[in-house]
Amino acid sequence: MFQSTSDSVRRVDCPSLKGEVSNHKEFLMNNTTKLRILMVCCLVPVVCAPFAGMSFISPGEIFATGSPDAEVFRRLRLPRTVAAFFAGAGLSVAGMLFQAMFRNPLATPFTLGISGGAAFGASLYVYLGAGAAFGVSGGIWAAPAGALLSMLLVWALTRSRGAFSTPVLLLSGVIINFFFSSLVMLLQYLSRADDSLRIMHWLMGSLAVPDIARVSDMVFVVLAGFVFVGRLAPALDLLSAGEELAASRGVEVGRVKLWVFLAASLMVGVIVSLAGPIGFVGMMVPHVCRRMLGRRHGLLLPGAFVLGGAFLVVCDLGARTLFAPAELPIGIITALLGGPFFLWVLFRGGGRGVML
Amino acid sequence: MIVMLKAEHLSFFLNGWALLEDVSFSLERGDCLFVIGPNGAGKTTLLRSLLRLHETGRYGGRVELAGRDAAALTRRELAKIASYAPQDGGAAPPFTVEEFLQLSRYPHIPPSGRLSGADREAVRRALRLTGLEGQSSALLRHLSGGERRKAYLAAALAQEAELMFLDEPAAFLDPRHEAELHRLLKQLNREQGLTVVTVTHNLNHALDAGGNVLALKKGRALFFGPGGELAYGGLAREVFDHAFSVLRHPVSGRPLLAADSL
Repeated sequence: MFQSTSDSVRRVDCPSLKGEVSNHKEFLMNNTTKLRILMVCCLVPVVCAPFAGMSFISPGEIFATGSPDAEVFRRLRLPRTVAAFFAGAGLSVAGMLFQAMFRNPLATPFTLGISGGAAFGASLYVYLGAGAAFGVSGGIWAAPAGALLSMLLVWALTRSRGAFSTPVLLLSGVIINFFFSSLVMLLQYLSRADDSLRIMHWLMGSLAVPDIARVSDMVFVVLAGFVFVGRLAPALDLLSAGEELAASRGVEVGRVKLWVFLAASLMVGVIVSLAGPIGFVGMMVPHVCRRMLGRRHGLLLPGAFVLGGAFLVVCDLGARTLFAPAELPIGIITALLGGPFFLWVLFRGGGRGVML
Repeated sequence: MIVMLKAEHLSFFLNGWALLEDVSFSLERGDCLFVIGPNGAGKTTLLRSLLRLHETGRYGGRVELAGRDAAALTRRELAKIASYAPQDGGAAPPFTVEEFLQLSRYPHIPPSGRLSGADREAVRRALRLTGLEGQSSALLRHLSGGERRKAYLAAALAQEAELMFLDEPAAFLDPRHEAELHRLLKQLNREQGLTVVTVTHNLNHALDAGGNVLALKKGRALFFGPGGELAYGGLAREVFDHAFSVLRHPVSGRPLLAADSL
């Protein structure tokens, strides 16, 4: 009670909170309009990205037959931009889903150990299928299987202590992530030198994909997952208000959580198998979306989808141009941006910013 | 009369402990029930068991809501029959008052989440009845404790179910707002035939509100009957292990319970 009283006092004189109140009262622009504007803004970099790169390709050239630029555009840059967009979209949506379910902004594919499990699955595949490159299509299931395995482990660990607790969940996730990281290192140690190098490169994350079929596989899984969880948006709203409340309003909590888990793990697994474990996107983008669009998942999920996609497209553009002709692993770029961002979130407004 | 709520030998076990044991009672449509008892007696556990909200643990006995076996209902069907205003614990949900009320329409809306005119009207009505119209766009966590209690009640009202389960709805309310809340519940109960189950620590209200009282102690029902009987026969003393004096209201002449000081 005293806490709330001081809250309402602070509401008046704390500038950092004013923005939030005005979000609902003074701003004439409602959240749906903001989502539309966000979508348009995100479209611009996505459309421009394939033309930019080491050398600029003019839009007029792309339809010319036989021109090398047109080939580069169609075979390399376009698939890569599509891959970046859907990888970013899928990771952000997965992050949004986990954060709603666990009511904790630190719940991301990374912190829950899912990326680690997926990395282990993919590395094991390389190790066992010795010689087979990541381009082989069968490998696309190794990472999702690892993702599901780690998710089940985290879940079982969390539930083993009776009632569900978020701190136990996050700790389990961190532990499982470490566990799988060491397994990946072990595999790397045991692998032949070229396999080991391949695993290492892949772990840094890259969207340079040789195979269009694998991009289309990922696009399909991410789109299907997104459409599927979109139908759960009202249930996710209630879950983010509390599980007991959600159940009392008619949400089959257990079933919704299971479906969301499966969908998110599958999306993350497929993305990781293609692009490597790209961190921080699943934490940064959902957070920015909540700041901009409010708390309703009917808006947040599409918002995270487009913003996450556009964000990774821009990061990937940086990865291939900043040190051209050399290419930076995209995981390094997102982590370099993500670390400071995380600290900024943590320390602005005395830690308030971290709350959902 | 239609039996709205019936509990037969209701029990709830968690890790081998019986948190609720062999509780039986039944309420007709339009009845009021006040659940009283010392801290840790199982009042909230009773509400949660009636609504089958426990995630872990094991139920015993049988609950009927509006004539249907609660165990056989889907959550959505159950939410249409019974609304719930839980105790206010932990962090406030990250929504504005109006959003929070809209969420309570979940059992009535299609998967797309689109609200119909009836949904919006139900939300408006709940805001009006609880006097929260002015705060509809304030975030829940910016409200005072009392206002937030009202928002929880409003959310349960917006659910538009015939049965209402309220867990300490008057906590943090000042005397005027508590009286207003009681008047509102009485009015809903009388005019719309709402059946209301309230967990309360306000013995004197349970005493003269004209409803039934269920007294719990250590997970067992010690008493179920008209509230007026609470004042006599040392019942309050037995429930709370504490001495009470029975006073007379100087104006109305009704009995009042006053806890003796130690």
